[in-house]
Amino acid sequence: MKPPPFHYAAPSSVAEAVELLVAHAAAEPRVLAGGQSLIPLMNFRLAQPGHLIDLRNVAELDGIRVDGGVLVIGAMTRQSVVERSPEVALTAPLLAEAVGLVAHAPIRNSGTIGGSIAHADPAAELPAVALALDAELVATGPEGTRTIPAAEFLLGPFSTALRPDEILTEIRIPRRGGGHAFVEFARTHGNFALVGVAAQVEIEAGRVARAAIALTGVAPTAIRATAAENALLGAAPGAETIAAAADAAVTGLTPAADLHASAATRVALARSYVHRALERAISRAQDRR
Amino acid sequence: MTGQKRHITLTVNGRPVSADVEPRRLLVDLLREDLGLHGTHIGCEHGVCGTCTVLRDGASIRSCITFAVQADGAEISTVEGLAQGATLHPLQEEFWEKQGLQCGYCTPGMLMRACEIIERNPDPTPEQVREEIASNLCRCTGYQFITEAVVDAAKRMRADSDSTTGAQT
Amino acid sequence: MTIVDRSAPPVRTHKDNRKWVGKSIRRVEDPKFLRGGGGYIADLVTPDMLHVAVLRSPHAHARIAAIDTVAALSAPGVHAVITGARAAALCDPLPDFGPDPANHTWRCLAVDTVRYVGEGVAVVVADDRYLAEDAAALIEVEYEPLDPVVDPERALAEGAPLVHEPLGSNCAYDRTFDFGDVETDFAEADVVIRDRLRWHRSGGQPLETVGAIADFDHATGELTVHTNSLSFTSYLFMVAGTLKIPTNKLDIIPVPAGGSFGSKLFATKPSVIAGMCSREVGRPVVYLEDRVDNMSNCDHHGSDRVYEVELAMMRDGTMRSLKIDTIDDYGAYIQFGVGHHGNALAQVTGPYRIGSVRYRVRAVLTNKNQQGAYRGFGSEVNNWMLEQMVDKAARELGLDPVQVRRQNFVRTFPHFIPTGNVYDSGNYDAVLDQALKLSDYDRWRAEQRRLLEEEGRYIGIGLITAQERSVFSATEFWFWFDEPGAPVTSMPESVTLKVDATGGITATLYSCAFWGNSPETMVAQMVAEEFDVDPYSVSIVYRGSRDGLPATGPGGSRTTVMLAGAVEGATAKIKAKARQAAAHLLEIDPDDLEWVDGGYQVKGVPERRKSLGDIAIALHLFKHSFPEEIESGLEDSKVFDHPYTTMPSADRKDLGVFYPFMGHACHVPVIEVDIETGGVRFLSYAAVHDCGTLVNPRSLAGHIVGGTAQGIGTALYEEFAYDDDGQLQATSFLDYLIPSAMEVPELKIGHAETPSPYTPHGIKGGGEGGRMMAPAALNVAVNDALAPLGVRVTELPMTPDRLLTAIRNARESR
Ligand SMILES: Cc1cc2nc3c(=O)[nH]c(=O)nc-3n(C[C@H](O)[C@H](O)[C@H](O)COP(=O)(O)OP(=O)(O)OC[C@H]3O[C@@H](n4cnc5c(N)ncnc54)[C@H](O)[C@@H]3O)c2cc1C
Ligand code: FES
Ligand code: FES
Repeated sequence: MKPPPFHYAAPSSVAEAVELLVAHAAAEPRVLAGGQSLIPLMNFRLAQPGHLIDLRNVAELDGIRVDGGVLVIGAMTRQSVVERSPEVALTAPLLAEAVGLVAHAPIRNSGTIGGSIAHADPAAELPAVALALDAELVATGPEGTRTIPAAEFLLGPFSTALRPDEILTEIRIPRRGGGHAFVEFARTHGNFALVGVAAQVEIEAGRVARAAIALTGVAPTAIRATAAENALLGAAPGAETIAAAADAAVTGLTPAADLHASAATRVALARSYVHRALERAISRAQDRR
Repeated sequence: MTGQKRHITLTVNGRPVSADVEPRRLLVDLLREDLGLHGTHIGCEHGVCGTCTVLRDGASIRSCITFAVQADGAEISTVEGLAQGATLHPLQEEFWEKQGLQCGYCTPGMLMRACEIIERNPDPTPEQVREEIASNLCRCTGYQFITEAVVDAAKRMRADSDSTTGAQT
Repeated sequence: MTIVDRSAPPVRTHKDNRKWVGKSIRRVEDPKFLRGGGGYIADLVTPDMLHVAVLRSPHAHARIAAIDTVAALSAPGVHAVITGARAAALCDPLPDFGPDPANHTWRCLAVDTVRYVGEGVAVVVADDRYLAEDAAALIEVEYEPLDPVVDPERALAEGAPLVHEPLGSNCAYDRTFDFGDVETDFAEADVVIRDRLRWHRSGGQPLETVGAIADFDHATGELTVHTNSLSFTSYLFMVAGTLKIPTNKLDIIPVPAGGSFGSKLFATKPSVIAGMCSREVGRPVVYLEDRVDNMSNCDHHGSDRVYEVELAMMRDGTMRSLKIDTIDDYGAYIQFGVGHHGNALAQVTGPYRIGSVRYRVRAVLTNKNQQGAYRGFGSEVNNWMLEQMVDKAARELGLDPVQVRRQNFVRTFPHFIPTGNVYDSGNYDAVLDQALKLSDYDRWRAEQRRLLEEEGRYIGIGLITAQERSVFSATEFWFWFDEPGAPVTSMPESVTLKVDATGGITATLYSCAFWGNSPETMVAQMVAEEFDVDPYSVSIVYRGSRDGLPATGPGGSRTTVMLAGAVEGATAKIKAKARQAAAHLLEIDPDDLEWVDGGYQVKGVPERRKSLGDIAIALHLFKHSFPEEIESGLEDSKVFDHPYTTMPSADRKDLGVFYPFMGHACHVPVIEVDIETGGVRFLSYAAVHDCGTLVNPRSLAGHIVGGTAQGIGTALYEEFAYDDDGQLQATSFLDYLIPSAMEVPELKIGHAETPSPYTPHGIKGGGEGGRMMAPAALNVAVNDALAPLGVRVTELPMTPDRLLTAIRNARESR
């Protein structure tokens, strides 16, 4: 289980990295972030990039700041840094809760937020958080920089709107009020979850004013549970509302079966976890007011 | 061409090291084969088991899913750096005392992981230790005596540092 | 006519004032491991060695039409590429104790046909592992896919694709054994409890894979192999024969293993591959399995059984007889035959007085990696099966599950079970009583009712009582055939003790690899006990097969008992000589001396004594102080043979004694099932074991916890699942789920000590107990939790998917 050979470069700026991606386009280049998804794939020889462009020296991609109510996280910021960041805890507690559920601490010590979102594993937590919080993903390519709404970013399993010569540079997360929750069911601690649910719920005058729910593990990408959100909007947040939303969230889902769970089991897990997420998010929203 | 080697310099257990490595060389192979530090083991080579755990700038990482070139400029600590001559590290003492090992294969990774756990939380509860060491698999012990060892090592290390601070004042 | 010899070895009296045996000393082997200096097989790799990578089959069943190795051969750093066809010219088939070796030939690489995903088709020898894998990827194999056979029951059906054409069917073995009067017992029974049970395959999966370093010397024709398997002293022919090397030109040297759990028992293939390659290239060669090699091609997956069982009972709870019909999916080959069922038959009736047993076993071949050994070797499956039946009986008869067990306990020892094996000693009531207390059983029963009624929570209590056989004997190979192919009867273990001129003691162990068990600590404690020395002062040396004394190595929980016998025997010889020497030095009759506190002294005259050191220096350096017949030096060996084996009867209605030292345990997990997710969570777990006299209680406790953790894996998480096409689904640790610290609860451990009357100090083996109990206990617990829903789970592992499906089905059928 040794990785295949590749060309390697470690540029120190985004511009340089993009240039390298363009120059080596024929060699199927890949960006290397923390390597915590890419290197295992290479060890299994399931990924064989001809050229790796390591972003570890690109200082501009590392860091967390709050910019006019928007949390801005550099793509190369390590997950463990996100986990411990007071800015994140304050502005995007949903992200803070979710990132602690990504793998194990030693993997988060290397893995980056950008790598996780760019990798777009349908079981991953962070793409779902980006989706639930309407994050914007900033990408830089040879034509310049563009901003992609999370809803348009995730295209399929391990597939995103990033072009082969683009680099994800920043994740911009607008601040949301109310209560949050990220809950998931993993068969063993730290392993990829079978199903995960991100929820952010705002309550005004005893009614749900805004609800965002995203699910992992039930579709080719993380998805928003729009029907469940609609079921919540304007409703009084009680047990019945939550149950109706949980039912709505899974209506029409056709998850793929795999070794660990049949489609029916995934649907059952999703319903149960939407329930749990909403209970927690709503109770936090109520506490917060 | 792809085999073109890169020059890297890093610190391993406090000693400066430089090496010419192929970019694909895994950090664990640099440590084990090029530097002869056999204490860091290989269990799965896909990041799950944690037998290859080392510290990079004080933070535990999987050396089997880290390229050696990614460690350029870093400070790496391995199990070989724990004992000071004849004196075992408190974690090693407690693992021995509590029989926190059977085959010993996961042990170096567990010890390095435990270093970080105690560094971040000098007074962990058994429940916290369990959750934190869940990053590392052990196929032999069932974790119970490892948990006891880490809790008691933390206690010992607190006592040690109290006595050093005490001596200074 | 069933004629059996029931002669037992003499009953021993054990001394009760032991100084070292019974102490939880820190293990003597640990410091090197703690410092990262374990010296495992991968640590012995040096830059001059060449590395092997195996190209594995992506197909479950296919004919190999062509292999093109040209590109691989010209890849950088490549020294050799050996295909299956070439390997077949270089090596004979691998050793196979199966029923019909010529009809299911097993080789180190597949020749014309691949029979499972992961089977090796070629190897590359290159400068390093990276280059070897690069080149392996360049080998082009043209496969003609064949229909695979995956399900063991379908494999038995007419017209199923054949795994081995020459065999003519996929059934490698089918025999029914009757022990006792089954028909009468069934006829007299009030009720018959029936069930169908399914145990899927898991495996040892130690964190270190199997590896071998081979160095063939063309000048001498000698091959040296370092490996983390056994050193094979008694079974050297297994590797030598395959490589066609005389056994006296082969030295196999064991190195510490990073765990085995059975899976490194006779791991011959890696040694053969490394040996073959070294001989071809004339250089030292290392073959280390990587994780995918180990998961898919290790030859050591665990049992994979379907059971149809009938338990004949009286209404009052008395157990009468058992009919067991099992189909065991062995995968593509069958190296150990159906030895797994010998393990089951050693304790087939559990701790209960069951008068008769019918046992049918069908060994089926399918397109999967073959079975080998995994902690319990098939007896753990029997424990699970029997406890599910007892549990079901209690439920159906409305009896208390604790009482049903207790009422059937064996209480007089030695006790011969219907198969002929003996239970040497035990006190099952004492273990049960301790477990009930330790687990707070009554409180949990009340709590269980309350939580269901008040909070709708599903709590389950899984009390089981089961056996832990130890110290296996080779006569197991006899059972299966009227004319056994391998009629061996020897399973020795040897130790040499040497007292040097200063009184320092060195113990030499043969064949006995360190596998995470504690052979050094065990021997050090036993030597300390014998000679009144500090156990840490004892030096322990391992010797390879060359010049090695007969030895079999670990397996079947035999190491500690067998080493104890060898140490005891070697000690007796040394002490006899020391006594003679001391008598001479003290000018007194040897019979007037007694061993006291590390030396011989004149009875009643403590001032007149010679310490072991005094005697040793005299024997080493002052030859002329002694009469002619006393040789210099103080060293002796003991080849300790299995202490209690009797032969099976010719008609195999009685298998004789082959697993006599019978441990016992009671496990009581308390769990909660989340009926929305199928997740299982522990609330409490108590385990009481009786493995006879304890040598190091903490070490044994460590094995209990570790074995239980593996049993939890078997019960809830681990499965080598193959899909309908024979593709292995779990090829990484992301899918093959080994429990982490968060899946394993803190155990409350209790020990009971019923010494064996037949072993030194009364020790029994205790290496496998945790895994022999936990799957049974967890299944009982989960069924206990889900009983209010009308759910009974009969399949392991109990994954969330299986539990949710069972709950759904129960709801729909209501
Ligand atoms: C044992 C184990 C368990 C895990 N469990 C989980 C889990 O439970 N949940 C979870 O979400 N993840 C899990 N992971 C994956 C982990 O979170 C990874 O860190 C993450 O998916 C990828 O981040 P990385 O920085 O390591 O990216 P890399 O592995 O370096 O890159 C991943 C992919 O993204 C691309 N990429 C990376 N950064 C950029 C960028 N800035 N611009 C464009 N493309 C980029 C790379 O080219 C590559 O294709 C686990 C990993 C392991 C080994
Ligand atoms: S060897 Fe690195 S995590 Fe298993
Ligand atoms: S001690 Fe063997 S794997 Fe942990």
